[in-house]
Amino acid sequence: MIFIETPPDTSGYMIAGYAIAFGVMLIYVLSLIIRYRNLNRDLSMLEEIDKG
Amino acid sequence: MAEQSITSKPQSLKSSYWKAISAIVWKDLVAELRSRESISAMLVFSLLVILIFNFALELDIGTRRTVTAGVLWSTFAFAGTLGLNRSMAVEKERDCLDGLLLSPVDRSAIYFGKAISNLTFMLIMEVIVLPIYSVLYNINLFNPGLLLVILLGSIGYTAVGTLLASMAVQTRTRDLMLPILLFPVVLPILIAAVKASSGFLSGANINDIFPWLRLLIAYDVIFIALAFMVFDYVVEE
Amino acid sequence: MKTKPRTLIALDILALILLGVSSYLALVFAPTEATMGQVQRIFYFHVATAWVGMLGFIAAGISGIIFLVTRNLKWDRVEVASVEISLVFFFITIVLGSIWARPIWNTWWTWDPRLTTATITELIYIAYFMLRQGIEDPDRRARFGAIYTLIGSVSVPITFMSIRLYRTIHPVVIGTQSAEAQGGFNMTSDMRFAFFFALISFTIIFVDLFWNRIRLGALADKVELLKLKVMQ
Repeated sequence: MIFIETPPDTSGYMIAGYAIAFGVMLIYVLSLIIRYRNLNRDLSMLEEIDKG
Repeated sequence: MAEQSITSKPQSLKSSYWKAISAIVWKDLVAELRSRESISAMLVFSLLVILIFNFALELDIGTRRTVTAGVLWSTFAFAGTLGLNRSMAVEKERDCLDGLLLSPVDRSAIYFGKAISNLTFMLIMEVIVLPIYSVLYNINLFNPGLLLVILLGSIGYTAVGTLLASMAVQTRTRDLMLPILLFPVVLPILIAAVKASSGFLSGANINDIFPWLRLLIAYDVIFIALAFMVFDYVVEE
Repeated sequence: MKTKPRTLIALDILALILLGVSSYLALVFAPTEATMGQVQRIFYFHVATAWVGMLGFIAAGISGIIFLVTRNLKWDRVEVASVEISLVFFFITIVLGSIWARPIWNTWWTWDPRLTTATITELIYIAYFMLRQGIEDPDRRARFGAIYTLIGSVSVPITFMSIRLYRTIHPVVIGTQSAEAQGGFNMTSDMRFAFFFALISFTIIFVDLFWNRIRLGALADKVELLKLKVMQ
């Protein structure tokens, strides 16, 4: 690590890291949205049964 | 229960508390003496674990020095879950837990009773495993320091283990849950116990071992106190 | 379910904007570090996601205690939300750290106190969800969950301390640096700006996700209740 004039090319690692970070966050947010949607669908269905 | 201790005579309450604990311990010990289910299972299992380690790690003289503490504690940790599971599953199967809960004693007395009997089983298993290990590998394990570490480590292990086992038996997956719940939270015990044990076995300076002993004691105190506080919530119906 | 509150929608948008800006700051604005090169940029998100994980971890412990005291299922939902968010963000932290460590420490993994503690925390969280899955009764599920988070939040710091008694190579960028640490560096003022901006942004992202997740829990409880009512 000492006396390295030009920094080593580590951009591949950086891109991989950020891709995974954004990927995981995206998957999490999507899972929240999907769970929300499914629950809302269940809720409206149950409310209909409850009324009928 | 806080009110009770203020209104009624504290002396008799205190003695009934101890009586309840010793009654539970006594009940477990007598039952174990008759059936010998738990301890024999733990013992056979621990010998099998040592056998597996023997071939998995090729315990020749050089390796033995460095890995003995690790092998011992892994064995104790794995075999310990058998005993913990068994002790709570028995109560659950025969609906003894409900009977215990109906009895007019403080719930934490049930916890301490179970924890002490679990600790006793574990110590008996360890006391038998140690000489067998000594004979098998020609290592002298009769070191007072090591025995102290085993005692302290087992106290912490059973303190958390009893609490988690009483939760695990009330889940759908039952005994499957215990190791998964227990191992990540007893890791400090295992780290400190392995370090302290290997320190004593290699004759290290007491100043190097002392931090690990302190960690073990701190863990024991903290988790006994924590279990005492939350056990009511575990058995509540 | 009531429609989403306006404040939450505003917070959603703010969180997204902040995520974009802090990505820009981390990826473009901050100067490239001299010895490590581009991979150092991982640091900004690594620390910020770890921070979110920590917030979730602390929130889980506190809400567990509050639940045991108040016995209000609302706090159980708060606890589940914090554990879930902490699980996701610690996972990102660990993966980012691993990727950074490959070129810098020349290994994907070391048994360093922080790495190991983060991993143990993840395992505790997984055990937590497995425990909850095995219990049908909502009250018992909440009680056991709270007890287990409590045990976890006491044992994790002890785990950290006990592993720390070993030598560590994890760099401490802020505060005192231990002599063995590898891959430490001094931040320039631009780096510091990007760093603190990421921390603040992720705090807001945490609050936003937290709020959304708590609402999701409330909705799930409502559906479960209605299901019981319909089935009778």
